[in-house]
Amino acid sequence: MSKLGALVRAGLKSNFGMAVLYHRLFREKKDRWLVPLIALSLLGIAPMLYGLTAFIKEMYFILKPIGQEKAILALGILAGQLVILIFGIYYILSAFYFSRDLDMLVPLPIRPSQVLTSKFIVLMVNEYLTVAIIVLPFIVTFGILDSGGTGYWANAALVYLVLPVIPLVIISLIIVPMMRFINISRKKDILILVGSVAVLAAAFGIQLLTQKAQGGSVNQQKLVAFLTSPDSLLHKIGSNFPPSIWATQAIAGGYSAGGLTNLAVFLAASLMMFAVMIVFAEKLFYRGVIGLNETSGRKRLLSRDEMSHRISSGRRAIHAIFMREVKIMNRTPVFLLNGVLIVVFLPAFFMVTMRAGAGHSAGDLHTMIASGNSLYIILMTALFMIICSSLNGTASSTFSREGAQFWISRVIPVSAREQVTAKFLHSYLIAALGVVAAFTAIALCFPVNPLHILLAAGLALVAAALLTAIGMMIDLARPLLDWTNPQKAIKQNLNVMLGMFADAAFLAAVFFGIRALTKTGIGGNAILGLLFTALILLSFLSWVALCRFADKRYREME
Amino acid sequence: MIELTNVSKSYNRNKVKAVDNLTLTVKPGEIFGFLGPNGAGKTTTLKMIVGLLRPDAGRILVEGYDVTVDSLKAKQITTYVPDYPAIYERLTGLEYLNFIGDVYGVPKEARIERIQRWLDVFELAQVITNPIQSYSHGMKQKIVLTASLLPAPRVMILDEPLVGLDPRAAYQLKDLFREHCEQGKTLLFSTHIMEVAEKLCDRIGIIHNGRLIACGTMQELKALGQAEQSLESIFLELTEK
Repeated sequence: MSKLGALVRAGLKSNFGMAVLYHRLFREKKDRWLVPLIALSLLGIAPMLYGLTAFIKEMYFILKPIGQEKAILALGILAGQLVILIFGIYYILSAFYFSRDLDMLVPLPIRPSQVLTSKFIVLMVNEYLTVAIIVLPFIVTFGILDSGGTGYWANAALVYLVLPVIPLVIISLIIVPMMRFINISRKKDILILVGSVAVLAAAFGIQLLTQKAQGGSVNQQKLVAFLTSPDSLLHKIGSNFPPSIWATQAIAGGYSAGGLTNLAVFLAASLMMFAVMIVFAEKLFYRGVIGLNETSGRKRLLSRDEMSHRISSGRRAIHAIFMREVKIMNRTPVFLLNGVLIVVFLPAFFMVTMRAGAGHSAGDLHTMIASGNSLYIILMTALFMIICSSLNGTASSTFSREGAQFWISRVIPVSAREQVTAKFLHSYLIAALGVVAAFTAIALCFPVNPLHILLAAGLALVAAALLTAIGMMIDLARPLLDWTNPQKAIKQNLNVMLGMFADAAFLAAVFFGIRALTKTGIGGNAILGLLFTALILLSFLSWVALCRFADKRYREME
Repeated sequence: MIELTNVSKSYNRNKVKAVDNLTLTVKPGEIFGFLGPNGAGKTTTLKMIVGLLRPDAGRILVEGYDVTVDSLKAKQITTYVPDYPAIYERLTGLEYLNFIGDVYGVPKEARIERIQRWLDVFELAQVITNPIQSYSHGMKQKIVLTASLLPAPRVMILDEPLVGLDPRAAYQLKDLFREHCEQGKTLLFSTHIMEVAEKLCDRIGIIHNGRLIACGTMQELKALGQAEQSLESIFLELTEK
């Protein structure tokens, strides 16, 4: 096997943990219960796919009579490329520079460009999976509606395989020289954090710009002229990113001259950009990598007084473990971002969108809230607060985040219950921060009755206790401890996904429960009272279950 | 005192027997060295003593406490140094020591005195406020050793404690081992370094394929082989069988 082939194979295996999964499923015969569970989770995205397909169909039938239907395809392709472009910054930084295999790869007799290419290919495979849910519904639905021939499907397959190249190369061409020429080796934590926040801000900006574009007034004559020129909508959509136009024309054109020409242009552009990146990689990649993992601290001797001041006077074990959780979470950028900052970002994003006057929709919401049924307003507000507080991976990665250091928790003379209590308090505090952030966003954006918003916050805080305990139990059942890159502990941790799935199931259960109650004719206050009682009871039971489960798991985990 | 009685442990659904019916007693005031080839069952045995692994069969007592029944009491008087120093990289050395002091309930005065002493011995004083991620492998090993000495435990379990240490630190550590045991405390450690085991240990156990194939003082082990054999020769001879 060629060196590149071997690198790609190893990269894919380590990226997807296939060897470990195979060993656990087929050798040790553990974790088989995960298979139906993952299948069930995948079913969870079915409603979203259904909605997207329905939207594409509707758009197709509107645009087909005016000859603008290709714009739909361009929209899907552009959306996929945008997602790659935005999230690619983060992925490329972690894959090219902050993955721990580099220490092992650099000394091997392999060219820098081969290492980079292998990492690039692994990223491409990741991207195929990431954008599948966005791009494939467009390609498949359009192909079926437009009766695409062999040419359509063949070109579509080729375009899909090459689709991530241009966006990923663009990001690489920015990052590789930047890492070479800017000495940021000692500030990598800050770099990841700033980069990630920049990505979120960019997503934010795009959202706002799109809204502004939609809100602008349109001259009717111009609109008619625009719509009657062929593929004008396609060119308008793709004008800022021409590869999406080439890709669309290549797929839609099939084996026609236009289709093949556009395919050739798209492939040639991708290949050329890739070649440029390889040239850059050969010259610059290793110079940016070497020395990046060095961290150094200043040497300083503490005086006896300073030492005495800094040595703690003996905290209780729960306090010590709680502080450990807080420090490790806040000092690891990936944990901080996905665990803590996200609970503030989400309400902030919501607030900016609403206050930017997203036109009529915000106005409609205002009217609805002012005149609506108070039970529904409380429940909707609580729902928003619960989503903001539970859409983070803190609880469902609380044991996984300890990783290889979990042995310390197992040997210290602190009971499993005390340890779990400290961890629960930490996760709950972050969930409560989400409730407070959501509370602020709602209070600033909508004229909600203060009593309603307080009741909603009360509901959300009780529900957050239940969801925190459930998330922790999910992680405790199967903690992911053998990671080297902290990203795996929270971003690529199946437990986090399962936790969110459990949250969704809980919300669905509450929804159906309330619907059933309203049908019986019970008043709003009684429903709220029942909901509070049920949630408090369930939170208490889940806490008891968590403690018992911890006693068991801490004993038997190996 | 550590007492293992008929302890067994298997992996991979009983397909791999890591420890096989092991019976062993480490007496108070004794330094006990555990020798064996790679994969012999040394680390598995040590991990079972500190509660990281559960024995399939048999009983383990630490100072009279059954480690599976009275696990917290056993942990309160035991500290463990693993073969690889995986510790909280995002904490500073001092924060880690404070954490260990808190969870073992070490009083402040004792904490100050012990931390200062071990930091001087291991030459860590100047970097103690730096994050552990900036430490070298040897420095991490030293901070784990300092943390294990901080609670002044009755029993210390150490897996390859000398690996990664510079000669001065290794020398100091051997002195510390002796001092620990002179106070009537117990120390059990695994090693690959025959010379250390030969010079330092009161008794040595040789484990092979999960079974204790020899155990005794250096003189008793020599009596097993030909006269004037080194521990290395005895080890090679026993583990070749």
